[in-house]
Amino acid sequence: MARQRLDPRLAAKLVFDGVGILIPKKKRRQGGGRRHRLRRFAGEQSRTGSWVLRGVSSRIEAGESVAVLGLKNSGRTELLRLAAGTLIPDEGSVMRSDQVLPMIGLGRAFDRGFTVRQNIYLLGGLLGMNPNEVEVALPEIVETAGITSNIDKYLGGASALTRQKLAWTIAMATGANIFAVDEMLVVGDPEFRARCFAHVQHLKTSGATFLVATDVPRKFDGFFDRAIVLHDGGVVADGAFADGLALLRELRLANTATDPTEPKTDPEARPEPEEGF
Amino acid sequence: MRILQPLAYRNGVRIIWEHRQVLRMLVLRDLQKQYTKFRLGYLWTLLEPLGMAVVLWFVFTELLGGRKLGLQPYFLFLAVAILPWWWFSKGVSGAAKTFRRNPALLQMSLLPTKIWVIRVVLVSMAEYLLSLPVILIAMLITRTLPGPLIVLFPVGVIVQFFLMYGLAMLIAAGAAVIPDLARIVRIVLRATFYLSPVLYSIANIPAGAQVIAAINPLVGVLGLYRIGFWPTEIESLPHYGISLGVTVAVFIAGSVVFHRLESRILKGN
Repeated sequence: MARQRLDPRLAAKLVFDGVGILIPKKKRRQGGGRRHRLRRFAGEQSRTGSWVLRGVSSRIEAGESVAVLGLKNSGRTELLRLAAGTLIPDEGSVMRSDQVLPMIGLGRAFDRGFTVRQNIYLLGGLLGMNPNEVEVALPEIVETAGITSNIDKYLGGASALTRQKLAWTIAMATGANIFAVDEMLVVGDPEFRARCFAHVQHLKTSGATFLVATDVPRKFDGFFDRAIVLHDGGVVADGAFADGLALLRELRLANTATDPTEPKTDPEARPEPEEGF
Repeated sequence: MRILQPLAYRNGVRIIWEHRQVLRMLVLRDLQKQYTKFRLGYLWTLLEPLGMAVVLWFVFTELLGGRKLGLQPYFLFLAVAILPWWWFSKGVSGAAKTFRRNPALLQMSLLPTKIWVIRVVLVSMAEYLLSLPVILIAMLITRTLPGPLIVLFPVGVIVQFFLMYGLAMLIAAGAAVIPDLARIVRIVLRATFYLSPVLYSIANIPAGAQVIAAINPLVGVLGLYRIGFWPTEIESLPHYGISLGVTVAVFIAGSVVFHRLESRILKGN
């Protein structure tokens, strides 16, 4: 892949070395105004932009499953995009020994004006498959995603669940070995979720590496070996999954106490959104 | 110039070859979408420029026929330039929207970022090539046949492709950083229509201003298209030279600017 500079000699699968990413300030921000100005005055926010991540260093070894935890806007998606190479760091470097598949917002890449078949080619193409490879994988994708209707019909009418399932199946059909997953490790209805989970666990035992950002880490009990907790633009914990989970809980409690915009309820207690990506 | 060349320039052309299959798919899908949207489909690709040529021909020969503009037959003269102008205008305005159309793609696409720019250029180019029968129609109406210099016509297509590619990189990257650029482009585009020798020939301009007018890269491109029909246009060759030089400069500038701004583009807005 042109975007991903690979280094096959690298011992680890992924290495973040002092990575920083500066997101430029937007002209108009939702809910801006006085609170915003105060924050800038207090030095929390600069005029030119803010560091979503800074000085992030970590090594992901082969076969590891790492959870990326944190509050909202803690830079989880950015970390995954950096891993996959769809974001270029402003500081530091990211090295990878193999291609990283970005499973980030895949459902939004679909085009309603295309047929199901065309969309499969489109998303496959975006994820680095060439049309011939897609053609070979097509029957399996259609079957796994459980698309019963005519695949030459427009996708426009398909439900969010179907689109999620389709996106997930295409991503799995790429045959990648390292995954950067944003909230879509398992998708679809409960039955499909179970199948997804079985599949990713199978991949894990056969040596695939996962980097997963999720709001509901408890759902994947036993899947993760490690957790990276992001807060205030940096890594606050990088170690055992249980410790990461405990820290995340503390962060959430502290946050609901100080920030009134954060929902009072524990996110894990809420029903999961249908369209999670 | 040689120092700037390697990285950005070579990659830009190689990308097209390396990703030709995906590009072909993207372009065909875009065309298909456009053509299935309207009842008359492909016919619009012919009718739109043909209609514009008829309107302009009527205004500038029948209504304002006093001053002689361009070369005869004027209808063919217009048709030959309006098609590439259409490509230019579609490509440029499309480029400004490149990264606003679907920002989600940038989050997960493993394709080089330039692909999205190339897609816009190729789609507008495909439409141009599909609209070429308009020139045949104009030739039929005016009963004119081109001379041997028509071999420069395909050269014009290639030169314009690189001009569009360079400009699109420049504009797409700029518009990703400064959203207002999309608006500015629209105004500049309108001015460019009158500043380019679409309605007139470069020879119609006062001699002193011709050199300045030749800075416009479209002068050379349109010249290459027209020279086959009007061999006298060859008198303006030095001006075409200047213009083609500017085209090369635009391409290099586009490559460099895009390369510089790529990380910023990926961050979205």
